[in-house]
Amino acid sequence: MATLDELMRLPAAMAAFEFRGSGELLDQRIAYPERINETTLDLLAHMCAANMSIATMQARGWEKVTAMKGFYPIQEFTLVGFDWSVVVSGFRREQLKNEDKTSLPPLMGVVLGNEKADYEAAFAVLEGQEPIP
Amino acid sequence: MSMIRRILALDGVNVICHFRDDGYLLEGYGLMGRDDMVRLAQFAHDYRRMIQGNADQLAMFTGMRGWTPPHGWVVRGAVQSVCGVGNLVCIVEGADAPMNEILLELREISHW
Repeated sequence: MATLDELMRLPAAMAAFEFRGSGELLDQRIAYPERINETTLDLLAHMCAANMSIATMQARGWEKVTAMKGFYPIQEFTLVGFDWSVVVSGFRREQLKNEDKTSLPPLMGVVLGNEKADYEAAFAVLEGQEPIP
Repeated sequence: MSMIRRILALDGVNVICHFRDDGYLLEGYGLMGRDDMVRLAQFAHDYRRMIQGNADQLAMFTGMRGWTPPHGWVVRGAVQSVCGVGNLVCIVEGADAPMNEILLELREISHW
């Protein structure tokens, strides 16, 4: 499972955070406190939790109406803003749900500067595929 | 040939659709029937508006600049992902798809 410190080693990482499925911020690392603070991360986490839920509803609906598969469960949500992006993941939680675990870890996210953002690397770290050197 | 078709040349991209500002499908290519492309265009249009609203509210509540207007979004599922940039949306299959390149191409083509 990715750690906040691993996420902070991604290119252009501004902040990394953990949050509940209901959106409350649990822990964070901030590289540039003059640009982004804990209050902003808390709102961002709530926005991302809402989007994960909405995307889950859409994935289930889409699979039912089209008979296409592979959208559910939602693993990551990414918002590419004007200058910043946020990538959040529930990948590890979904894995544990499949194993019938009832105690689930928090969701994790990272805020990236768009100019040097590497979304593939962010997905890889959030999914625990590879450590950042 | 429509320029948006070139997105289909990228690994993993199975469907690309271009829609009007009201969600009407203008053109779509790839492994999907016309009815589902119409649905995908309407979905992406709605999702784009929702993301725009989220980014606007985040900026308003926090005072942090740099979120709005948003460029795009990605929803990544177990096998399939959906990416939207501007009035374009595509469906991408596989965890190893070159998402950085796909987002760059979508952004470039969305400006045409």
